[in-house]
Amino acid sequence: MLADRPPFEDLYRDFLGRVYAYVRSQVSTAADAEDITAQAFMNAYQAYGRFEARHSTPAAWLFRIARNATLDHFRAHGRRERLRRAVEQEPMAEADPATAAEERIQYRALMAHVAQLSERQRDAISLRHSGLSFEEVGTLLACSEDAAKMLYHRSLKALKESVQRAGE
Amino acid sequence: MSERDEELELQALQRQLDDAFETTRPRTGFEDELWVRMQARRPLWGRIRDAFAGFTQGVREAPAVPAAAVAAVLVVVIGASVISLGGLGFGTAGEKSAMTGDLSPQAGGPAGAFGPVPPPVFSQDRSVQFVPGTQTSQGAAATPYTGSATMTWAGQFNLTITSAPVFRYQEPTSNAADNFASSLGATLQGRPDGFLGSYATSDYTLRVRGTVQVPPVAPAYFILSEPNMPAISASGASPGDIAALFLAEHNLLPQWPYTVSVEGTGYQLKVKFFRQFAAPGYGLAYLVDTKGMPYGLEVDLNGTQAALASGPLPVSLESADYRIITFDQAVRAALASPQPAIGSTPLPSVQLTKAELVYALVAAGDHSFYEPAFLFSGTFQVNGVSYEKRVVVPAVATA
Repeated sequence: MLADRPPFEDLYRDFLGRVYAYVRSQVSTAADAEDITAQAFMNAYQAYGRFEARHSTPAAWLFRIARNATLDHFRAHGRRERLRRAVEQEPMAEADPATAAEERIQYRALMAHVAQLSERQRDAISLRHSGLSFEEVGTLLACSEDAAKMLYHRSLKALKESVQRAGE
Repeated sequence: MSERDEELELQALQRQLDDAFETTRPRTGFEDELWVRMQARRPLWGRIRDAFAGFTQGVREAPAVPAAAVAAVLVVVIGASVISLGGLGFGTAGEKSAMTGDLSPQAGGPAGAFGPVPPPVFSQDRSVQFVPGTQTSQGAAATPYTGSATMTWAGQFNLTITSAPVFRYQEPTSNAADNFASSLGATLQGRPDGFLGSYATSDYTLRVRGTVQVPPVAPAYFILSEPNMPAISASGASPGDIAALFLAEHNLLPQWPYTVSVEGTGYQLKVKFFRQFAAPGYGLAYLVDTKGMPYGLEVDLNGTQAALASGPLPVSLESADYRIITFDQAVRAALASPQPAIGSTPLPSVQLTKAELVYALVAAGDHSFYEPAFLFSGTFQVNGVSYEKRVVVPAVATA
């Protein structure tokens, strides 16, 4: 094991909840979030031998895998439900309440607004609030740290306006 | 609006987002389940290597379960308050930090054959949460809500008992796990971290784990089928029947009372056997988790093939009668449960209309307990959606 590479178990324990929260903010059911999170960690587990800490932080590396797994999910299942959610501005539906994880109405209402943002703005918000630094957000979104900060703040303002419009 | 006002609003929104992301976590048990699945998918050579030589490649065999559990409970503690009627101080540091011992109508030591027993701790989130609605022991279809609420009691409940049994078990050892595995025909493969043992048969891998202290989870087994696991042949059988047949074929059919619930649709189904305890004079009481949701044994089905089964490791239970609080005391405790809320969302008003006796696990080191508690529930609507609020109150009297 490379000295700069922590045991995968540590990554798993440290990041499972955060990765799940990120994925959950992108999809409409807890069941999908579990499936995507599971796939992401399966992929990460298999690829961990190739991870080099000098090129990326574990967080950025894991979230890149999670983001790719989420995109794969959308490619496989379409974005119809997400678009519907954005258009109708309704809380995310739980198709199967039996698999619903602990969630909060406040979170769901907020995410209904996040869903209306552009994909890039949505990613900036989700990744940042999943605990990533602006540098890491920039790495994932292929932009500089400063550009990631600007994108995040624009996204935050857009989100605030969306929330305010809904409250009027 | 001034720049300062706008900045303050943005900061408030950031806090809400932080809170939302920090408190969104997978259901209890997902972390362990996924880790076991990941381990099961590792190449055979890796498993053999680890069994003999231990991990040397930066991947440990299993998570340290208590540590993982502590992480999970920390999530609960963020924005959570805890109802505890005991205040005996047996909880972990994390639990005690959130306890509200003043709520106890009976602070002090109980007098049962086991001596003072530590109280169960139940979580109450300060905002809105959802938990599986179809798991309710009372058949409610509403989406469960575990957040803050303004509550009143508007039901009727005739409690005719003044005592109920507390059940105790001794923490199983690796020998006990080996004996359990041997009874299934499984042979020891190794003792990975966090587990009492890992075993194998020709068609499945078995893992056995001891009690998780926080949040409390009973000693458990996990059966992960290999691809050659034979399907259950029973034409016309229901998913519940198929799961029961699988368990019976492997000598795992529960010896405790239970009800069956099937979740999911189509090819992949989860069959849940909700565990019950017999309380003389009352009847059968469901085992519930820290959020008041019933649980027990689960079998994941892919068609007629069992993919995963997990349930409580059979342990020897002793029982002793303990005096329980009156129903009026339980109602007062339920309504007094901590209600601080996060954010500015108005608290929903909930009429609790149902009550039942339930059991909750209290992990306490060498010996752990299943203790009686009162579960209150009521439904309400938000934006046309029906929700169910649950409140659990420890039942054992302590004075």
